[in-house]
Amino acid sequence: MKPAPPPWGEALLRLFVSLDTFASVSGDLLEQYRDSIHPARGPRGADKWYRTQVLGFVWRGSRLWAALFAGAFVARTTLDWLRPTTDFLMRSEVSTALAAGILLAAGFWTAWRSGSFAAGAAAGLATTVIAAVLSIGGTTVLLAIWHDPHTMTSIRGSGGLEEALMLPVWLVLPGMAIAGVGGLVGAATERLARGG
Amino acid sequence: MAEVLGTFEQAVLLAILRLADRAYGREVVREIETRLGREVAAGAVHATLERLENKGLVTSKLGSGTPIRAGRPRRYYRLEPAGVSALNDARAAVDELWRGLRWPLKGHA
Repeated sequence: MKPAPPPWGEALLRLFVSLDTFASVSGDLLEQYRDSIHPARGPRGADKWYRTQVLGFVWRGSRLWAALFAGAFVARTTLDWLRPTTDFLMRSEVSTALAAGILLAAGFWTAWRSGSFAAGAAAGLATTVIAAVLSIGGTTVLLAIWHDPHTMTSIRGSGGLEEALMLPVWLVLPGMAIAGVGGLVGAATERLARGG
Repeated sequence: MAEVLGTFEQAVLLAILRLADRAYGREVVREIETRLGREVAAGAVHATLERLENKGLVTSKLGSGTPIRAGRPRRYYRLEPAGVSALNDARAAVDELWRGLRWPLKGHA
């Protein structure tokens, strides 16, 4: 029996590679896995290599959206800390619409490329997890630069430090749901464009 | 305006040139790894191939599969005249930067 990579790896790869190239890309990975990686590294090493390769495709497919999402989050945090206000409604509406738009676009684009309805939610998960890391890092940098008493008062007035650091994590599941909606539309549009 | 190529794009195009009619994804990865002497991510190579194809520097067509690939097709890449031109421009730019200098450099650090 020929060695085979983890089945979930191929399933994940399918979501982040275009429909037109999936067969050749997964074939290339399978060929490399079987003809050089598995003989040299053994089953566990080869599976680890395969997982790393697939996560590379996920990273390349999500990093732009994650950077946009994290950029919007850090920009909003900077605004709240350096230009405090008593009425956060307008800022909340704008930043929520921007974040939702980024996630919808990420889900739509990923599902459009792969032709898979599940790709949107997967893109939402990858985007929000990467963005959470970037946002927490960005917020920490902001705090390292601005931690004078005036700014600390602004931070407390805008929800506190805990909210600024934890909100990106709390957004992972809602982000998956929103990108999932974009993905449904993207995959449906792709099927319509291909003629059913 | 001539296409400006990044270093990795040049590596991929030169691998396609060397491999000629054997230039499909797996072989391109192997060729680059041999030349650079390090492991490269398949995703990086495939993303670059897709970008080069979108720029019109290479074209591709599907070939047949093999048992080791579970019958999945190979996608063969071919350099287009625009790709050859871009490589020539890239080489000329590097040669111009090195003109008058002796290689290898004698370090002062």
